[in-house]
Amino acid sequence: MPEVQTPSEPSLWRAWLALVSLSWRRQARARQMVWIALALLGFAIGLVAVFTARNRWGMEHWRTPGRTGPTYLQWADAVSVTSGLIHAAGSPPAVEAALIGASRVIMAPRLTNEQGQSISLGGFQVFSQSMVFGLFLSFLLPMWSLSFGTEALGGEREGHTLLWLLSRPVPRPLIYLAKFVALLPWLIGLNVGGFALLCLVAGPAGWLALQLYWPAVIWASLAFAALFLFIGAWFRRAAIVAIIYSFCLETVLGNMPGYLKRVSIGFYTRCMMFESAGAYGVQAERPTVFLPVDGTTAWLVLVGLTVVLLGMGMWLFSRAEYHEIE
Amino acid sequence: MPELLDSADSSRRDRQVTAASSIAPPPTATRPSVAASEPLLLCQTVSKWYGPIIGVNRVTLELRSGITGLVGANGAGKSTLLRLVTGHLRPDLGRVTIRGLDAWSSAAKRLVGYCPDVDRFYEDLSGRQFVLEMARLCGLSARQARERTEQVLDQVGMTNRADRRLRGYSKGMRQRIKLAQALLSDPPLLVLDEPMSGIDPVGRAELVALFSQLAAQGKCLLISSHELDELEKLTDHVAVMARGRIAAVDTVSRIRDRLADRPLTIRIDLRPHREAGKPSRDHRELAALLLREIPEVVGVQLARETASDEVVSLLVQVYNGSRFFPALTGLILEEWFDIVHLEAIDNSTQAVLSYLLGQSS
Repeated sequence: MPEVQTPSEPSLWRAWLALVSLSWRRQARARQMVWIALALLGFAIGLVAVFTARNRWGMEHWRTPGRTGPTYLQWADAVSVTSGLIHAAGSPPAVEAALIGASRVIMAPRLTNEQGQSISLGGFQVFSQSMVFGLFLSFLLPMWSLSFGTEALGGEREGHTLLWLLSRPVPRPLIYLAKFVALLPWLIGLNVGGFALLCLVAGPAGWLALQLYWPAVIWASLAFAALFLFIGAWFRRAAIVAIIYSFCLETVLGNMPGYLKRVSIGFYTRCMMFESAGAYGVQAERPTVFLPVDGTTAWLVLVGLTVVLLGMGMWLFSRAEYHEIE
Repeated sequence: MPELLDSADSSRRDRQVTAASSIAPPPTATRPSVAASEPLLLCQTVSKWYGPIIGVNRVTLELRSGITGLVGANGAGKSTLLRLVTGHLRPDLGRVTIRGLDAWSSAAKRLVGYCPDVDRFYEDLSGRQFVLEMARLCGLSARQARERTEQVLDQVGMTNRADRRLRGYSKGMRQRIKLAQALLSDPPLLVLDEPMSGIDPVGRAELVALFSQLAAQGKCLLISSHELDELEKLTDHVAVMARGRIAAVDTVSRIRDRLADRPLTIRIDLRPHREAGKPSRDHRELAALLLREIPEVVGVQLARETASDEVVSLLVQVYNGSRFFPALTGLILEEWFDIVHLEAIDNSTQAVLSYLLGQSS
């Protein structure tokens, strides 16, 4: 007698996984903001490539006094010549050593990484300050994050397809959570992948930056994902609100002196990076003005922010009426 | 306000159950245990505002089974009511429950299939893929979802047309796909917003049969429609909405009966020329007789457009059609008027609706 198969009951867990899968695939459809993010990535890679080709990751070419004075390298040579003269004049060896050492530390000291490759510490610092902190954290990371983050729910709202999800017997908080989970691979992939590309193009200095900074990029990506998903659940024009947020809080306020910058995700990410690269001399340019927190505190804030925003988003989404989808 | 209770025609139901028996329902969902006496849908003095504008105003409605039509003009509150029932909106006052469960809850959504008026999909998917995705979102296993998808596509007549991308579908095909996804979990309550919009006459007939079949299976259907004639073919019971309120819930005929005193316009086409051996009269004589002999007649006017050059049309305004028609019949027979056509031109659900809308203002 053939065995009779009894159909299994519908499962909430299966429905949730199916929603994650569907949402992940829907995110693959690159929309306008994603194309903008990719264009920004292309532009940034081009910029880094030009800097790398012209050997601009370092302080050797910097001039003092600015623009018209000798380069740092020329100053170093001058210090070397001077020290030779001092030596010839019979000055104490300590004075000579101090001069040479200072010139090396300030101008263009060279280190060797774990693979024995030569790394310009000055280059790593310049890359960190200008590209990682100046461009990536303040501008690229929020912009890349919002390209996928606001699309997760905002795209469903604008496309009126959220209706189909809300008609299914899946609790709303779980729909929100599924959207978050489905969003992460794309958002982290773009942020970490884009950051890795920038670093690889920058050469050894970039390699070191990638090795030191990637955990901070991931934690920042999680926080940004939670933030922009929340904005997508709250605002009808999520992309516009997210762009305004990124510009005002991350780009402008995030670079202001004092405590105000602590409302930005970029601040805590930067603090994590400072701690990671502290051994290599990377720190806030003026710590008394920047007022950094330690790495553990920064990590706790990013994780806490992610959890709190996720919880708030689930609560909001479970209560919200989306009139525009019908 | 009258409430609508079970009204399915038992003989029709028996016939339809037989017809539907080949369709296997999906595995029973983990539905919350509820008392059998609990109404399937219960709206208790529900109100919903959009800012200062009231969308639904103290609506009370109870449904247990059968088909209920929901009619009303644009802005009457039909869509708001359907969104409240399907848990997409929450009432500001009152309560909407599905078998005792708050309609907003996900548990209640297991009991409701919703075919919205919105014509938006994941356009890059095929119809089959879309329905399959929706089946997976109901928590069915991959195999069950595939099987159920084929069943519902078959039910709506889309089996052989479901592999094209949705963006290439006609309005009617899209309507069918929407209907298919609503049927996926075999819900006891189906809420259908304009389900026959854009569907050709043959398709309409098929859907009417399908809806009747579903009602015969004991399901409760709440159908909003502007296609009043189609709705009238489909159901005995109509809830008429006007300005956020339910103006009436009853059979169309009972509504008409209750509105016996409502004004009615009747078109009478008569041939005025004489025929050999018959004392035929012209339209002026008929108008005079109507006004003089039948008290229910309140006005007569000459229609501007006539069916042909040989006939003249009169538009007769009367109160209480049930008394007017016997009187008119007697008059015609006695006076030998050559009447070629007689039509109550507003004797339709639309007329009832219009009357109710006017009355509820």
